[in-house]
Amino acid sequence: MRRYGRVFREFFRACLVEEMEYRSEFFGNFIASFFGIAIALLTVHIFFYQTDRLGGWTYGEVLVLLGVFNTLRGFIDFALRPNMPRLLEHVRRGTLDYILTKPVDSMFYVSFRHLVFWRLIDVALGIGVIGFGLYVERYVPSAADVCMFLIVMAASLLLIYSLWMMLMTTSFWVVRIDDLSFIFDSFFDTARFPGSMYRGAVRLVITYILPAVLITNTPALALLGKWRIPTALAALAAAILFLWLARRFWRFALRFYTGAGG
Amino acid sequence: MIRKYIALLRMKYIEMLAYRLATFVWMTGAITQPLITMFVWMNIHPEESDSFVFYFMAVIFVERMTSAWDVWELDREIREGTFSNWLLRPLHPIHWAIAENIIYKWLFAVILVPVWVVAATFWPALRPHMTASQIMLFLMAVVLGAALRFLLSYSCGLLAFWMTKVAAVYGVIDVISLFLSGRIAPLGLLPPQLREWSEWLPFRYMISFPIEIATGAADGGELARGFAIAAGWMMALIGALQWLWKAGMRKNQAVGG
Repeated sequence: MRRYGRVFREFFRACLVEEMEYRSEFFGNFIASFFGIAIALLTVHIFFYQTDRLGGWTYGEVLVLLGVFNTLRGFIDFALRPNMPRLLEHVRRGTLDYILTKPVDSMFYVSFRHLVFWRLIDVALGIGVIGFGLYVERYVPSAADVCMFLIVMAASLLLIYSLWMMLMTTSFWVVRIDDLSFIFDSFFDTARFPGSMYRGAVRLVITYILPAVLITNTPALALLGKWRIPTALAALAAAILFLWLARRFWRFALRFYTGAGG
Repeated sequence: MIRKYIALLRMKYIEMLAYRLATFVWMTGAITQPLITMFVWMNIHPEESDSFVFYFMAVIFVERMTSAWDVWELDREIREGTFSNWLLRPLHPIHWAIAENIIYKWLFAVILVPVWVVAATFWPALRPHMTASQIMLFLMAVVLGAALRFLLSYSCGLLAFWMTKVAAVYGVIDVISLFLSGRIAPLGLLPPQLREWSEWLPFRYMISFPIEIATGAADGGELARGFAIAAGWMMALIGALQWLWKAGMRKNQAVGG
């Protein structure tokens, strides 16, 4: 475990050096992120121009949810998204062999080798929106709330990582990866709003099959003091289950890869 | 000219068949955002669920029928220098873009219309109640909307002769259009100031206006005024495009020579 921490730090440093070469881009990226969150806030505002509840959630609560969504998306764009096209390239060119001979776990390597730092702005902005939402709601989270929030947030990150990893692994068979991440984005977009807002089959799918709602709603509720122990345990269990599945799928794909290469 | 166009259309058709999977994926992506918004509005005004279902299905349809992506193509081609290849051909490059747009929209229509018909037999909310003249006006408005969106996209793309981040500029315009074209909400639900802006800017005529005709929300004088404003914007955009083209060619030669 300690070794993986060290390796991750090394990835971090290498990418930071790389990114410092393009410092002038930073400002443009900052504006873009800021613009994105402003649009999201404006959208929520337009909805609340007509109502004071969305799926039973108040304005402030929806803002907290939006903040959680933005934070999680920031993490995806920071660590996972930049690695996807590279894995594809490795599979296509056969250079995955080099990664497999390295003394670190291949799944760890392919998912964290390349990091895009300016995307952490989205994480910061997300946390800002969470704070703003709590202020609108006039709610100060207790220590237990924050603790629970951190636990379910960790579960959400694990879940997203697993889902994303499974998607990435399909690059052994599918060639056009931007299409795949596009599909992920459109499904993840449903997690922007309270799950209780959806109806019928859509609700079933995004609650149980692709747990988009679980990913954002549970952390937001935890921070608002509306957590329940069973829900948190369910989130953790789902995260571990999905991680296991992702791991199995990666192993399976590797077997396929060596089969093709040999 | 007609013969040339038939040849162009045939070429673009073959090209498109090579990217069937990608087309399917973009279609799925285009559907999710309006669907999410639809659920939001059905939640806010449950008693009007049926009209929201019709409205947002129409948004998906009209959006596909009018969408233009020329700005990204031009941005890339001008930046990488491959745009010069088009200039060597005997036909103005814009005709290739027009042919491509026609083919893609035809494909979307071929897929979406039967889907709509099947869905409407199961789901009464999706059945349109339109008179013959309404249908004619609706189709006219869709064609006008497609022209507006294409002209805007192509004009923006030409800015790539002077700027490096044209796609970003278009991104901003697209976000404004998200609100003012009726994709986030039927325009009637927007705050009054925004609604007033939407009347005079071109975005309403790209998506919302045809739908308003289909639902009967716009008729009589409102309708005439809408077509007049949209036609005015079309003239303005054609003028802008021609001017940008000439200036761009001069600029391009200066760099090349």
